[in-house]
Amino acid sequence: MKRKRIVGNAVKNGLLALYAIFALFPLFWMVLISFKSDAQMFNTTFIFDPTLENYDAVLLRTDYFKYFLDSIIVSVVAVLISVLAGVPAAYALARYNFKKKESLAFTILSFRFAPEILVVLPLFMIYQKIGLYDTYFGLIWVYQLITMPLLIWVIRGYFEDISVEIEHAAQVDGYSWWQVFLKRLLPLIKPGLVSASLLAFIFAWNNFTFPLMLSGTHVETITVASLKYIASDTVHYGQMAVAATVSALPAVIFALLIQKHLVRGLSFGAVKG
Amino acid sequence: MAKIEVVNVTKRFGKFTALNNVNLEIKDNEFFVLFGPAGAGKTTLLNNVAGIQIPEEGLIRFNGEIMNKIDPAHRNVAMVFENYALYPNLTVYENIASPLRSPLYKKDNATVDREVHRVAELLRIDHLLERLPSQISNGQKQRVAIGRALVRDPNVFLMDEPLAHLDAKLRHYMRSELKEMQSSFNTTCIYVTHDFLEAVSLGDRIAIINEGSIVQVGTREEVYYTPCNEFVAALVGEPEINLVDGRLFAENGKYYVEVLEKGYLLPLPESSGIIRKLVDSGVNEYHIGFRPNNVRYTFEKKDGLLKGTVYSFESIGNKAVLIAKIGDKFVRMIAPNDLKVRLDQAVYVELPIHKAIFFDAQTTRFIGTSDEAAIYRLVQEQLSKGVQ
Repeated sequence: MKRKRIVGNAVKNGLLALYAIFALFPLFWMVLISFKSDAQMFNTTFIFDPTLENYDAVLLRTDYFKYFLDSIIVSVVAVLISVLAGVPAAYALARYNFKKKESLAFTILSFRFAPEILVVLPLFMIYQKIGLYDTYFGLIWVYQLITMPLLIWVIRGYFEDISVEIEHAAQVDGYSWWQVFLKRLLPLIKPGLVSASLLAFIFAWNNFTFPLMLSGTHVETITVASLKYIASDTVHYGQMAVAATVSALPAVIFALLIQKHLVRGLSFGAVKG
Repeated sequence: MAKIEVVNVTKRFGKFTALNNVNLEIKDNEFFVLFGPAGAGKTTLLNNVAGIQIPEEGLIRFNGEIMNKIDPAHRNVAMVFENYALYPNLTVYENIASPLRSPLYKKDNATVDREVHRVAELLRIDHLLERLPSQISNGQKQRVAIGRALVRDPNVFLMDEPLAHLDAKLRHYMRSELKEMQSSFNTTCIYVTHDFLEAVSLGDRIAIINEGSIVQVGTREEVYYTPCNEFVAALVGEPEINLVDGRLFAENGKYYVEVLEKGYLLPLPESSGIIRKLVDSGVNEYHIGFRPNNVRYTFEKKDGLLKGTVYSFESIGNKAVLIAKIGDKFVRMIAPNDLKVRLDQAVYVELPIHKAIFFDAQTTRFIGTSDEAAIYRLVQEQLSKGVQ
């Protein structure tokens, strides 16, 4: 029996290790080549002369931080607006009965169905006409397509899990509607709110199609700006790797900070009382 | 500390009418029980009094003041919810303290602490104060929910089946405790239950509600001895009242009712005035109610008794319910627990005609009772109220 268990554990761990290598190798490779010079890019694998030249070129000699800041502004504000508008919307969808409620909820979800490439051309024309092309506001607005449905659907589930009597009890206890919402409901939806916001932020941060088509030189997100390292004569893989590595950092840091909320927050409903 | 009036209240949910023209007047300091089967509209009525729901028609008045447009927070009512409605993220202590921390009924920390501990001791949950609701049992949750109401000094306590999930012993204790508390607090209380024992042991008055309408309002004696129709008679009393078909029969100036078997005549008691009521009603087909605890039985053959067979014998704690099959009808009666009995054994049943309740067979409405003692008691009660 004991031997059987040891063998079982070994197989299990072996498979998990294999998967970890499979999942992490591309990231490892990206970090690896960010230290390679262009000259050694194609003729070395693991043994090479590490250099910080790429970092120097990308971070100090281009507008990298400007792109980084643009990305932060666009993504963070988009998520904030989604939270401000999405939480009340989710509450309404969970609590109130109105005509075509499910159709409306489905419509919101369906924004995530269509490939972005499908809508981006007409949006490009419209944005050019109404002057939203290459503005922060324009990008933040279109990012709502990505962040809002996710937030509404996750938070709606949380509200539905909170029994309506809890609200009634709080009202009877002497709290006004707003106080009930802020003091009694918000703490209960917090895990969902945090994890959905983070996920929405990552989706917004990683988005490529919208900023590629709907912004130009004024607002440039990091995903689009990374293309600049493909020069006309050569592709600077090392510099691209640096750009990608650094741009991956915010999402990784956030995810690590709230890791305990993340999986539980998206899969669990509120704790039943 | 308020008189509650419910005037012509109708509440609809879409096409479903949950409350249909309900009228109630609950006196100051009264322990008022709403009693009815599941889905009767008891909780809806409480929610309307609390302001959680607003009636489509009619008025809710506290001390004469119309409350329809006042929100729940400002009505100063304390409510115990059937599903507890505890805040899952707060400890038992904070749950109980919640009303005293709200902006409207705010108290200083020392008062909050004192009150929470007083209530927790009363409800025997003082050892659970630091736990979360998910870490306590359902019975304990229910007591926390009661505690959250009891820390307050409200216009009215609204209790929605607050003892439903407690074990028998604790329920008994809480029942007397609630009654005690209510009389010492001088507070009006509306108490919803579907448990007959709770209704009669707690209620100063009992309102019987069915399908959104009030069927009868009265003291426990009134609803027990003079139920206004068969529904109330069947609902009040455990085990359920026996209702048998009967027909009025007059011979040589004497009146009888024929019950169960053709030719089985029970002479109506002449002094009780029931004969007059039956004759005056102009009805001669009845459903006659006999309470199981009044039905007598014997296993020895005796003339003048109904012969039947033992259909079932079931213990219900300190007594037992014996069901006899007479023809194709069943008669329930109370028997001692240690009775030696075989199924299908012959049993002779005597129906207590001097303690019978008569209903119109067609409309099921109350016509009269032959129970003189009960009538006498009820009259006494009415008189003593009149004197006050």
